[in-house]
Amino acid sequence: MDSLYQFAWLIPTLPLLGAMVLGIGLISYGKLTTQLRSLSAIFIVSLIGASMVLSFGLLWSQIQGHEAFTLYIDWASAGDFHLAMGYTIDHLAALMLVIVTTVAFLVMIYTDGYMAHDPGYVRFYAYLSLFSSSMLGLVISPNLVQVYVFWELVGMCSYLLIGFWYDRKAAADACQKAFVANRVGDFGLLLGILALYWATGSFEFNVVGERLHELVELGSLSGALAGFFAILVFLGPVAKSAQFPLHVWLPDAMEGPTPISALIHAATMVAAGVFLLARMFPMFEALPTATDIVAWTGAFTAFMGASIAITQNDIKKGLAYSTMSQLGYMVMAMGAGAYGAGLFHLMTHAYFKAMLFLCSGSVIHGMEEVVGHNPVYAQDMRLMGGLRKYMPVTAFTFLVGTLAICGIPPFAGFWSKDEILGSTFQTSPALWAVGFITAGITAFYMFRMYFMTFEGEFRGKDETVKQQLKTEQLQGMGLAFGPGAMNPKELTADYPAEDEAHDDHDHHHSDEPHESPISMTLPLMVLAIPSVLVGLVGTPFGNYFEAFIHPPGEVVEAVTGLGISPEFEWGEFLTMAGSSVGIGLIGITLAVLMYLRKQIDPAAIAERIQPLYQLSLNKWYIDDIYEVAFIKGSRRLAKQVLEVDIRIVDGLVNLAGFVTLVTGEGLKYLENGRAQFYALIVFGAVLGLVLVSGIT
Amino acid sequence: MMSTQFPWLTVLILLPLVAALPIPLLPNKYGRTVRWYTLSAGLIEFSLMLYAFWQNYDLNTPGFQMVESYPWIPQIGLNWSLAVDGLSMPLVILSGLVTTLALLASWQIKDKPRLFYCLMLVMYSAQIGVFAAQDMLLFFLMWELELVPVYLLIANWGGQNRLYAATKFILYTAAGSIFILVAAFAMAFYGGDFTFDMQALGDKSYSVAFELVMYGAFLLAFGVKLPIFPLHTWLPDAHSEAPAPVSMILAGVLLKMAGYGLLRMNMEMLSDAHPYFAPVLAILGVVNIVYASLTAFAQDNLKRRMAYSSIAHMGFVLIGIASFTTLGVSGALLQMISHGLIAAALFFLSGVTYERTHTLSMKKLGGMAKQMPTVFALFTAGSMASLALPGMSGFVGELSIFLGFTSSDAYSTTFKAVVVVLAAAGVILSPIYLLSMLRQVFYGDASEAVAIPGLTDAKPREAFIALCLLIPIIGIGLYPKLATQTYDATTVALTTQARDGLSTIARQPMLDIELPFMAPTVLGTEAQAHLVD
Repeated sequence: MDSLYQFAWLIPTLPLLGAMVLGIGLISYGKLTTQLRSLSAIFIVSLIGASMVLSFGLLWSQIQGHEAFTLYIDWASAGDFHLAMGYTIDHLAALMLVIVTTVAFLVMIYTDGYMAHDPGYVRFYAYLSLFSSSMLGLVISPNLVQVYVFWELVGMCSYLLIGFWYDRKAAADACQKAFVANRVGDFGLLLGILALYWATGSFEFNVVGERLHELVELGSLSGALAGFFAILVFLGPVAKSAQFPLHVWLPDAMEGPTPISALIHAATMVAAGVFLLARMFPMFEALPTATDIVAWTGAFTAFMGASIAITQNDIKKGLAYSTMSQLGYMVMAMGAGAYGAGLFHLMTHAYFKAMLFLCSGSVIHGMEEVVGHNPVYAQDMRLMGGLRKYMPVTAFTFLVGTLAICGIPPFAGFWSKDEILGSTFQTSPALWAVGFITAGITAFYMFRMYFMTFEGEFRGKDETVKQQLKTEQLQGMGLAFGPGAMNPKELTADYPAEDEAHDDHDHHHSDEPHESPISMTLPLMVLAIPSVLVGLVGTPFGNYFEAFIHPPGEVVEAVTGLGISPEFEWGEFLTMAGSSVGIGLIGITLAVLMYLRKQIDPAAIAERIQPLYQLSLNKWYIDDIYEVAFIKGSRRLAKQVLEVDIRIVDGLVNLAGFVTLVTGEGLKYLENGRAQFYALIVFGAVLGLVLVSGIT
Repeated sequence: MMSTQFPWLTVLILLPLVAALPIPLLPNKYGRTVRWYTLSAGLIEFSLMLYAFWQNYDLNTPGFQMVESYPWIPQIGLNWSLAVDGLSMPLVILSGLVTTLALLASWQIKDKPRLFYCLMLVMYSAQIGVFAAQDMLLFFLMWELELVPVYLLIANWGGQNRLYAATKFILYTAAGSIFILVAAFAMAFYGGDFTFDMQALGDKSYSVAFELVMYGAFLLAFGVKLPIFPLHTWLPDAHSEAPAPVSMILAGVLLKMAGYGLLRMNMEMLSDAHPYFAPVLAILGVVNIVYASLTAFAQDNLKRRMAYSSIAHMGFVLIGIASFTTLGVSGALLQMISHGLIAAALFFLSGVTYERTHTLSMKKLGGMAKQMPTVFALFTAGSMASLALPGMSGFVGELSIFLGFTSSDAYSTTFKAVVVVLAAAGVILSPIYLLSMLRQVFYGDASEAVAIPGLTDAKPREAFIALCLLIPIIGIGLYPKLATQTYDATTVALTTQARDGLSTIARQPMLDIELPFMAPTVLGTEAQAHLVD
């Protein structure tokens, strides 16, 4: 069995190898490599498949009770300082490996169908493989520095993939925004790592936690300072897991192709923040102020994401805000000390959210046949409707995912969300209340999404809606996309052109959408299985999950047999579960009345609560605030500094130069005079000798 | 061993010079003979260099190796004395690599190719001379020898403002280098026995006041070259006007001469003054990082933006030098090597872009990715390296500097915190200016940009040059020991020496200067209490 652990480094290395082979091929023999489509795809998919098999082997061995395994190599050194890198395989790492490899494997199969007509097919596989490799490296990291290394690498892959369609302006802006927002978080994480190293002299997760705890107890480090360090570290997860106030990049990241929205921006990378919180749990545990901040950030993000998701019309944006909200739940759980519950939700969410995103991709794929390759039309739910008839598999799996995220038993999301709510209730009823209300909103907006997309009449040929979308888009552009300075003229000239360009290679317009090919529906059906069943490993009456995944240092009794454990309290469980299912049902009922049976007109409600509606529609105006405060602000600051540089610094130094130059004829006369240059040296030497004689 | 007798370093310095001699006699009907001739000279030089170090250089010896010394002009005490140690050997290899690649990158020079290649070869010699010289006067001569070709190269083959840029360059650097000469004479005359030998000068014991003045003089000279704010304004002009191969060498090697000088003269020879100036260096480093990052962001010219980014990156070198830890000094040297590779790659690629578009204004460019996918990929890789992405060399350099400065016991906690936080702001600022550069040049719709008929992607030669720089960048990033073990022994010895200077000061504060110092404490888990507020 140990040999399996000796070769665990292959898990991230195999996809890296694949990415390197394709990358070198693309750079040196671009044309040829681009043509080898199926060969490249099979190559990449089989490599990640091999990683998946190894990961399952490791998980099985960990479940059997194999002890944690760590291997180090000396990576960097200077004098006495040594920095080791390596990998550690314990319960958490093995679980994460399985989650990442399975989702990545399925997404890669799906990609074959989704990207079939894209000229960047091979490049996309190379990026996907590079991402998988970085993500797998992240989850087996044995120390903070290695986490930071892979943390940034997954960020870079995310940048490359969001900007995959580099000729789209929105994608170009979005990828830069994502990278910069993540760098703000990384700035905090880096400072946090440095501060923790300064205080504890270590990068190891457990050692840092223990020593920090000791230092605080001994009084040699103030608790406030330790808490501040923890918050600095927490800034990393805030950015990566799209928590308020650094969440702004995630919705824009939907400019990338849908498979990566499923893999990176729903299932794996964004969950890395929660993973890091889990790894740093020993540190956070001892710092109540820090954990409170973590918990409330999560709760607030959960609520904010859900409140924005209600009014989104873009199917992917809606799912993105939902992801943000669900990540908020996980972070809240981590902050409230519910280690197992948070990670449980990470796992269930990874499967059902990946499936939901892939479903949305399938829908977009179908819509593109009708409305053309324009994301504004293909992704807007106002042009969808009635798709269940045309795409039964997609509709069914989307429904499964919706039920899972709404927390309807026995779907996976029910068990994990219920556990989070249950454990937060014990720590803080206020936190629980936020999570509880959010659960209701979640049920509402998810069913709104389902009904708008799959039920009712198909609206894809409705020209009035299209016209409306176009006007909205033109109006919105000015503000919506941050970093790119827009001028309205550019837009009007640009966008019609883009439409035409797309129409050109898109002459096979049909009147109704069709179900996607098997390579896309198969992953959906496979993902539906864990979305339904995976929750059963963590039921309150037999919590195998928590017996396996628990904070280091905490002893959890193994679950014996299938029977209900004796200390299980039915009453408590039923109240908690009943109330959360209850509020979910209320949300669903509202959605049914408004969007399925149309008995309540959503527009009328929106009119009634106009300010709230606008707040939600405009994403709480946070993008606009950032635009003014940070983007324009930093541009202005940079311009001013440059002015200072050109006018004052350059001027003063030149002036000083002139004064020293007794030749004093000015720059332009010196252009061809080397004589002056030697005069200068002589002058300087004289000056120097005077100086020397003065000193000695 | 036979090989110790062979004057490898002399050969390495003289070979390009000798190779430059017959160039005016070469037949040059189509400009091909000269470039092939020069390129082969460069390749032979580079291979000889690698062979010589492979055979003769011992990685575990901290001191000077391959020592050669011949009296040259004994009347004025000038000796042709050469040697390398861990500080200079990696930089000699860096200059060999970058200059050879720059020769390969000069393929398109059609105007007066003979003169151009002659000057490039002279520069080749001078760079190695600067790093290998063990005699202060020789060092100064080599330093000056390298200025003249750069001046002529910019003035003849540069962009539109080339004369202004070249003149500004020569005035700034010549004015700066006078201080090297002055300091060299002052140190040589100090205390009786007259010598220019660096080791002997380093062993002399000077009064602290004298050391401080000398330190200041060197700092001015190297501060112009590195550059340090506010002496940096020549650099954006020179770098943006120079032809691409010259920019590669300017940013890739010449800036490192200043960093090398700071390590060799200021830190090693004047280690008693170093503690007084170190906090200043750290502050200047922070100013470099923040100030240059902001100015870079405001630039519209591609090469000027990268020039300012070089200034920001050299700020990290200053912080590393100021750290008084092995890790920090090692990081400073690594940052120099890494920036040499990265800046050369980026300047080369911007040259590739310029050759095709004939503009460097980012407003006029846009949507180039579709037509030049390979250039786009290489440019992205270079920018990622420059913004210190892990897995690439820039990250290791910056991380070592951060860790070194954080664990330094020479400064108070508050001072360290302020420096580290401000320097880390560079982590946020560098992607802002680099990625917006990529976005403006490559992303977006090609229709917005200047219409360039027949825009072609990178040729194999161009891709090869960029890959030759990117492969070591990634190699060092994946396994930093590849680079660090070439100099580790020397940086350890150097830091020990600098720390001796530090403890001297801690024992007897001789000047009434308010410094943010605290008594050195031993780093260790038990002693943490001392370090904590």
